[in-house]
Amino acid sequence: MVRREFNHQVPIITVRHFTAGYDGHVLLRDLSFDIYPGEVFVILGGSGCGKSTLLKHMIGLYQPLKGSIHIEGKDIVTAQGQQRLGILARIGVMYQQGALFGSMTLLENVRLPLEEYTDLPGEAIDRIALMKLQLVGLGPAAYKLPDEISGGMRKRAAIARAMALDPPILFLDEPSAGLDPITSAELDQLIIGLATHLNITFVVVTHELPSIETIADRVIMLDKRTQGIIAGGRPQELRDHSENPWVRQFFNRQVEAVG
Amino acid sequence: MAQGVLEGHPSSDGALILSINGSLDTTSTGQAWRRALQLITEHQPKGLIVDASRLTYCDGAGAALLLELRRRQESRRQPYEIQSLDPAYRALLDLYGRWDAQRPEPLAPADSPVEQIGRATVAVWRDVVVLIAFVGQLSSALASAARRPGLVRWKDALLTAELAGVNALPIIMLLGFLLGLIMAFQSAIPMRQFGADIYVANLIGLSMLRELGPLLTAIILAGRSGSAFAAELGTMKVSEEIDALTTMGLEPVRFLVVPRVIAAVAMTPLLSVFAGLLGLIGGAVVMLSLGFPLVTYIIQVKSAVTVGDLIGGLSKSFVFGIVVAAIGCLRGLQTKSGAGAVGESTTRAVVSGLVLITVVDGIFAVVFYCLGI
Repeated sequence: MVRREFNHQVPIITVRHFTAGYDGHVLLRDLSFDIYPGEVFVILGGSGCGKSTLLKHMIGLYQPLKGSIHIEGKDIVTAQGQQRLGILARIGVMYQQGALFGSMTLLENVRLPLEEYTDLPGEAIDRIALMKLQLVGLGPAAYKLPDEISGGMRKRAAIARAMALDPPILFLDEPSAGLDPITSAELDQLIIGLATHLNITFVVVTHELPSIETIADRVIMLDKRTQGIIAGGRPQELRDHSENPWVRQFFNRQVEAVG
Repeated sequence: MAQGVLEGHPSSDGALILSINGSLDTTSTGQAWRRALQLITEHQPKGLIVDASRLTYCDGAGAALLLELRRRQESRRQPYEIQSLDPAYRALLDLYGRWDAQRPEPLAPADSPVEQIGRATVAVWRDVVVLIAFVGQLSSALASAARRPGLVRWKDALLTAELAGVNALPIIMLLGFLLGLIMAFQSAIPMRQFGADIYVANLIGLSMLRELGPLLTAIILAGRSGSAFAAELGTMKVSEEIDALTTMGLEPVRFLVVPRVIAAVAMTPLLSVFAGLLGLIGGAVVMLSLGFPLVTYIIQVKSAVTVGDLIGGLSKSFVFGIVVAAIGCLRGLQTKSGAGAVGESTTRAVVSGLVLITVVDGIFAVVFYCLGI
């Protein structure tokens, strides 16, 4: 892939001293990191380390126990009412199963945020929604229901819906999970294309190594035992030069116990 | 929202120049879109020139407007030009415009009314066939359970009996009492005019024990437990648990339906008895308020109601229990995929349950009449 360079001066997302958990049990402790505009930032780690939990806090679904999450300078943790809606309009989310509304066609799914958030006339909404579906290669399937398309198409349609309002930040939860390698590679290329051409910042949760190496500009690796970030940087650097044995084991798919 | 982000004026050669001044994003494009179409309608220009020299920002919505203007001009075979567009936004237009020719597959035309009636008729016929097949499957599973009771999941049956039976007792008792009370009040007034108000006891006794008690119980069971069975099995179907059972060699009807039917069959007659008794108590309250001694009411009820009436009511309840539980489970097993599928199955379970209860009640009425019961 073409390595893209970013403005590392002003982060678009800032996470500081983030601690999360539930029922008195801490899952992630004192995380701090920055995400810069236009980069594909991957959160990775083994099963149960809190990747999806972190993502759900970043999109404002859960409240952290401590810390702050600033998106374009506004704290989503403390934001209420209109300010919170303003932040939510600046992000798009693709959930693990797509979360498309089953009773609506793909076009109606993409239309929905445009109808709710803008004063665009109906024909403009149709035009934009179709454009987004065409961008992810689903123009011909616009009038199909989510049940009538494959898992990979559902995920692409979910990306189209997440992009309906042209948010500068897209959060993707396990985009490659459950997809065959070819469909997964197509989705990776779509993410790279959107990041390159539309300068969208992607925050991706995944543990699919081929995807990570293809799409990620920068990664952080979470660890269940330390409840925090054990490594951060470019994936190739971590794979080849990390001093942490767990990181090397993860990237090289080794199964023997380390340490 | 930006004010006057798009304005227009005619050029000397008959074209319309649309000047964009500001940002074309999802919040400002709506107004610009309407204004552009209004100006085009007013001027009927020979060509269209978009002056983008003062365009400060353009996202997908703005690109959609510029592409839509291009499409309209192309369809009229008239010239279209965008002047002074920032290369970044030009790239955005190229990106979105690349798939402009890719149109969605058209929707299939809607069926004509005749086709719709035909499809609905075929669907009803198929449903009847499925119902008959399911009755056979269930009968076989129940016969097998009778031969080898050890195969029945009694723990599930007891749990279902508690949920569908014991937990339904308060609502059954309340409604039974109110039904008896209301019927007694409503009938006492006209019957008093003929000096026949003592026969209110006969009416309450016969109707509650033979007809309304079992019917009320069955309707509550359909709304409360039939729908719950459909939702539970429907969710299992959606989450592939039913498929898992099948591939493990466990027959879903034996594993899931039989315990629920056994529980419903055991509980419905009992609930029906409670509904009848509480209806009689409701009637007694009215009769006492009308000045009749309790003993008179009891003697009158005893003289009117025979053991045959009670057995008739109980046998109806028995069949209602099978029907409601079986149709609830069948609709659950028929659940399709998607978020709305479970809700649809639940609705179908209740509607089918009510229809079948009415049909079975009608059959019982004819049979009882022929047998002279």
